Amino acid sequence: MTPVAGIGLRAAHLAAVVRDRPATAFLEIHAENYLTPSPAFDTVERLRADYAFSVHAVGLSLGSTDGLEDTHLRRVASLVDRLQPTLVSDHLAWSISRGRYLNDLLPLPYTEEAIDVVVRNVDRLQETLGRRVAVENPSCYFSFAHATLSEPAFLSEVVRRSGCGLLLDANNLFVTTQNLKLDPRVWLDGLPVDAVMEYHLAGHAVNDADGEPILIDDHASRVSAPVWSLFGELVERFGPRPTLIEWDADIPPLEILLDEAATADRRVAEREAGAARAA
Amino acid sequence: MPLALRDLQAEMAAYLVSGADADILGSIVGDTIPAAARLRIHRHQLYESLATALAGTFSTVQQLVGDPFFRSIARAFIAQALPAQPVLSEYGEGFPAFVDTYELARGLPYLADVARLDWALNLAFNSPIGRRLTAADLSSIPGEQLPSMKVGLAPGTRVIHSTYPLDRIWSASQPNASTAMVDLGGGDAWLLVFRRPDDAGFIVLTEAEAVFVTALAAGASLEDAALAAFAANARFDLSVTFSRLLDLRVFVALQQ
Repeated sequence: MTPVAGIGLRAAHLAAVVRDRPATAFLEIHAENYLTPSPAFDTVERLRADYAFSVHAVGLSLGSTDGLEDTHLRRVASLVDRLQPTLVSDHLAWSISRGRYLNDLLPLPYTEEAIDVVVRNVDRLQETLGRRVAVENPSCYFSFAHATLSEPAFLSEVVRRSGCGLLLDANNLFVTTQNLKLDPRVWLDGLPVDAVMEYHLAGHAVNDADGEPILIDDHASRVSAPVWSLFGELVERFGPRPTLIEWDADIPPLEILLDEAATADRRVAEREAGAARAA
Repeated sequence: MPLALRDLQAEMAAYLVSGADADILGSIVGDTIPAAARLRIHRHQLYESLATALAGTFSTVQQLVGDPFFRSIARAFIAQALPAQPVLSEYGEGFPAFVDTYELARGLPYLADVARLDWALNLAFNSPIGRRLTAADLSSIPGEQLPSMKVGLAPGTRVIHSTYPLDRIWSASQPNASTAMVDLGGGDAWLLVFRRPDDAGFIVLTEAEAVFVTALAAGASLEDAALAAFAANARFDLSVTFSRLLDLRVFVALQQ
């Protein structure tokens, strides 16, 4: 089986990756960290010769009624042009309102009005980049009273109207469905199989919100057992896809990330072996 | 009638930043966990993630005052100056001026200058390395032409002046620094901040050297910049300073 798992490339690991050139299916960078010239950008350009890259944006604000910000869009397009990544993605969320950037992935009310906004922004992004992008399901801590659609129905409609792909984050899916008391397997029903381009895996924390547990998507630990189980479900339903180990806070040694990636590859291989035996 | 999405986003942003516009809570399903507790997660993320970004940019300030106090300054700054765009290495230009006026930092009058140094280092770090002028480039130029030429400074190169011994304050903040006290009355410091291949750094200049570099940055010829430096201090040595700067690779093209 060809390995599918890659790791998020963080500044703390740049030197180790350059020195050790670890085997990994791909490296994913956050677009917003590489939009200025810097020693880190020079390093990524050198690593381009040896690794496939994925560009994951966190600040395009695909859900903003403001529309995509011209300068930021142009800078992301220039990065994509320079790195020629295998994948480009951002989130089903908004983070900009009236020209102020909130540095958070805020959820949308799942309504027809919001679909129009997201489709307009995704269309513009795909036209500017000249390629299909993947939109990621966010971690939700609440839902809106006036929502008329479920999150998967909303995502499916965005895919249908814009032609974009999906990035399914198993950890976000677990966090959202736990926090909103939904069944993750029902959530997955009806998603367009052909649209799934990538998976994300990460750790979460369990916090206390006024006496009730609430899951927080903090990317600061290993992937949890129920998220591994959901990952198995994703591979079962949609097939193996490039799979990212994300770790953004309390960043451990590079070996831990590579170990998590190896676990993802092993789980895919076991499923494929199981499917072959069953056939 | 639910809010139009544009208004909902504006109201939620206002609530997350300042706690104002609590009407937004009515749009959120509260059930087992109240809406305010749910939004607190986002409010926390907004402030703490931006404070972390500022701590990365202003790492010397953070080292000097400690993380809890740094975060309280950062949160006060964030509340009045959110980023205008998502590239966080470009966020914080107004932070040094904010530190200068921050009441609780009054006892640390040098802190704003440290923040200016951190910001200059950040700008240098996020500058292209590009092609730099070397001694070999100069060998083809007739000696008599050199004084009238102008020399450009590499992107990110700038002079920082402080009435405090900024270089020693910076050194004292570094890991494994000696515990010797820094004499705050130790005199002015002029620092030249610039991008290096793998990071950004600075060297200490004399006042005359600072005048020289500042004049070059303003477009003066080598001769005029040297005259300005001599006026500041008659012991200014053009050839020593020029070759030192050349070795640091802070010059780009020569122009007539």
